[in-house]
Amino acid sequence: MDFQGIHDRLQAIQAPGLQGADEPREPDPENKKDKGRFGDPFVLVDAKLLPAFLQVCRDDERLNMDLVADFTATDPAKDDENLWINVQLLSIGQKHRLAIKCMIPKANAVMPTSVPVHRSCQWHEREAAEMYGITFEGHPDPRHILLPDDWVGFPMRKDYEFPEEYHGISCK
Amino acid sequence: MGFLEKQFQENVLTTKVDWLLNWCRLSSIWPMTFGLACCAIEMMAVGCAHHDIDRFGAGAFRASPRQADLMIVAGTVNFKMAERIKRLYDQMPSPKYVIAMGACATGGGPYYKFGYTVVKGVDRVVPVDVYVAGCPPRPEALLEGLMKLQEKIQNSSVIRRPARTA
Repeated sequence: MDFQGIHDRLQAIQAPGLQGADEPREPDPENKKDKGRFGDPFVLVDAKLLPAFLQVCRDDERLNMDLVADFTATDPAKDDENLWINVQLLSIGQKHRLAIKCMIPKANAVMPTSVPVHRSCQWHEREAAEMYGITFEGHPDPRHILLPDDWVGFPMRKDYEFPEEYHGISCK
Repeated sequence: MGFLEKQFQENVLTTKVDWLLNWCRLSSIWPMTFGLACCAIEMMAVGCAHHDIDRFGAGAFRASPRQADLMIVAGTVNFKMAERIKRLYDQMPSPKYVIAMGACATGGGPYYKFGYTVVKGVDRVVPVDVYVAGCPPRPEALLEGLMKLQEKIQNSSVIRRPARTA
């Protein structure tokens, strides 16, 4: 299925948390400030309902999204008050894929874990948690995965400041 | 060697203790099997037949720091690894030598500005004898670094000179 078909199917089965869709488009020739949008089409999903959404995508026989190809986060800008959660779903049997985007506020970056639906989300969520400071409620193993256990701060946040020293080693 | 020459029977050689010890050391520098990033690939190439670090007696890569004389820090050192490097260095028996291979181990390299977990040079953790430039260095560059280290060993002395007093 192409993106339009997937989106129609999601609406037909009333997938929980589906908030809308966004597709790339050409720049408007009349409006010079409009630069259009590049990249993949994606669906916008409520972060609180992301696990339920993933479960519906996995269990529906037409969608059959059985693989989480990517699960990560983005900090779009320093003055933006939201973080993005980016998920790439892939269906090996149906040979189609779907990009999902969720918004969660930086001030209260808490969302439920997707591990009960896809166990492969475990390491992805641990990485997103340590890099962006997102709390995944109900995660079975919420340790750091790449950084040392006592690392301070969330390095991929745009407002991150480098530490002066770590365990006596100067960072400057 | 000087007036001792031809004073003994055949098959007796005379030399200096310094020269003999240094010759032994520099001819059998056993490096530690230890690679951190892409520089390690070049280090492996140095160990293979084409470049053949064994020509310098340094081909016996030891899997244990307790059997090694030389630590080739080949790659990016991050803070998580730096503590392990320090511990491995402490486990090596003296005399021990360190080669910082490549830009990352020398001074942070391309991660100098934005690498939040990269140590800006392994010399902040362990003392370094020879720095090899390059990103990654060619195998020939590492061999030259090894030869520089051999020169350094050759010029060292086992006799400890008394500490200079003011």
